[in-house]
Amino acid sequence: MSSLKDLQESFQRGILAGDDTILAEIRDSAKEERKALFGVYRQAYVARLAEVLADDYEQLHAYLGDAGFAKFAKSYIAAHPSDRKSARDFGRHVPEFLKADAGFAKHPELAEIASLEKALADAFDGPDAEPLKLAKLAEIAPELWAKLIFTPNPTAIRLTFTTNAAEIWSALREDTAPPSTRLLPEPQAILVWRHDVTSRFRLLGAEEAMMWDEAVAGTRFGVLCEMVAIFSGEEGADFRAATYLKDWVDMGSLADFRLAP
Amino acid sequence: MSAAKPPFLGFGLGLRPQHYAEILNGSPEVDWFEVISENYMVEGGQPLRMLDRICERYPVVMHGVSLSIASTSPLDLDYLTRLKALAARVNPKWISDHLCWTGVHGVNLHDLLPIPYTREALDHVVDRVSQVQDFLGRRLTLENVSSYVTFGQSEMTEWEFVSEVANRADCWLLFDVNNVYVSAYNHGFSAHDFLNGVPRDRVVQFHVAGHSHEESHIVDTHDHPVCDEVWDVYRAAVAHFGPVSTMIERDDNIPPLAELVDELDHARSIAREVLGAPRLAAAE
Repeated sequence: MSSLKDLQESFQRGILAGDDTILAEIRDSAKEERKALFGVYRQAYVARLAEVLADDYEQLHAYLGDAGFAKFAKSYIAAHPSDRKSARDFGRHVPEFLKADAGFAKHPELAEIASLEKALADAFDGPDAEPLKLAKLAEIAPELWAKLIFTPNPTAIRLTFTTNAAEIWSALREDTAPPSTRLLPEPQAILVWRHDVTSRFRLLGAEEAMMWDEAVAGTRFGVLCEMVAIFSGEEGADFRAATYLKDWVDMGSLADFRLAP
Repeated sequence: MSAAKPPFLGFGLGLRPQHYAEILNGSPEVDWFEVISENYMVEGGQPLRMLDRICERYPVVMHGVSLSIASTSPLDLDYLTRLKALAARVNPKWISDHLCWTGVHGVNLHDLLPIPYTREALDHVVDRVSQVQDFLGRRLTLENVSSYVTFGQSEMTEWEFVSEVANRADCWLLFDVNNVYVSAYNHGFSAHDFLNGVPRDRVVQFHVAGHSHEESHIVDTHDHPVCDEVWDVYRAAVAHFGPVSTMIERDDNIPPLAELVDELDHARSIAREVLGAPRLAAAE
């Protein structure tokens, strides 16, 4: 008789690796053979996790179609046995998996669609924070603005895409035919965050993306204005920087600020 | 640890995100909600906000799916810490999980896997339940699962095992009527033997659910309405255990809330018929 520990290891190998050793411990029922009965667990494992992936990567599923998605799910499930208590975490390696797998990597939009879906899901139940209000910012004396250092909303995630994956995702989300995949002439910066209870994303121009990345790294507003001036010209630089900042406040992607010493 | 048996809550439903708006807008005829613990072990956003609102309006119980009480791998302290933190937020009437294991060596198979009913497994589970109860500072409620296989090494019936766990570890039981029906069909025992074999004073909750029939066996899918055979076992369970907090458990193919409230009304009417309206009202 196997110990409980050996029995559980053998049962798990039977599910994950198709090893039949466990069948010696199982009885046939009056109506069915043990292999078919154990098969219920084998099938349920793959079916349940494929369903988790389909729920978490809805637009990737729509893009690949049922057969393509089933093929992807099968290889992902084999490559990444679940190691977290929550099924919600099971698909967290999908973008890297699609990037690393030789077959899927030929279609770079797949990993990018997946990374957008993952970021939106992560933002959905990420940490809460009150968004920074314009009124609070307006209380700061003009001479102190150069010292402002901003704190992003804790759900904010920056992505950079090489393809039109964001456009494809949006079309799929609207249930319309996605555009053909194309490589972009310049990388596309994307900001994902949650406003109130809704996850959002926004395409950022190159200058705005540069300013966002510097801002969340702790660069003071005075320096941000100088960097904007260097990036695409001094004329109107302060105005451009102030406009980006106002947009971020309006869309709730900042949580707070502090004054540099 | 409190010795008092948790109260009879009446007739409840599993909280599902599809129904958030309907619940908050419509105040449906539901006495209490059961929440899946793992779904709310998140940092923020809509899930926790909705949970807080539901907790303000309804009694809530927490139901986990990954405690893995029978696993031979060490208890996951990080999980237990998060479970305890969620309980501090929810203030649940009780916390339940399943009498099963979900994986070993850090793997989670996301399934409720069967235990051989041996003395060794019994000692192991009783010890683990005691550890979890000490950690949580409260009694745990354990649910019998549906199973598709039996082990040659089993030394007792499932109901003897379940009862021994409850008595020795001093925990509560969640009697899943559908799981008893499914396992009875799959393994050829009598659902009535099972329910008659479980100690009355340990059962604090019933689950009632649907399943999928595959001719030679039944799979516990929770994606169908409750069938007549399961209602019959429910009727017998109410007669045997008396007023027990009852819940319709639907996890897939989730219908509009009204449909589940109708099923819940059916459970109410069976309980009223079996126990008599005055006894049911007195329990509430």
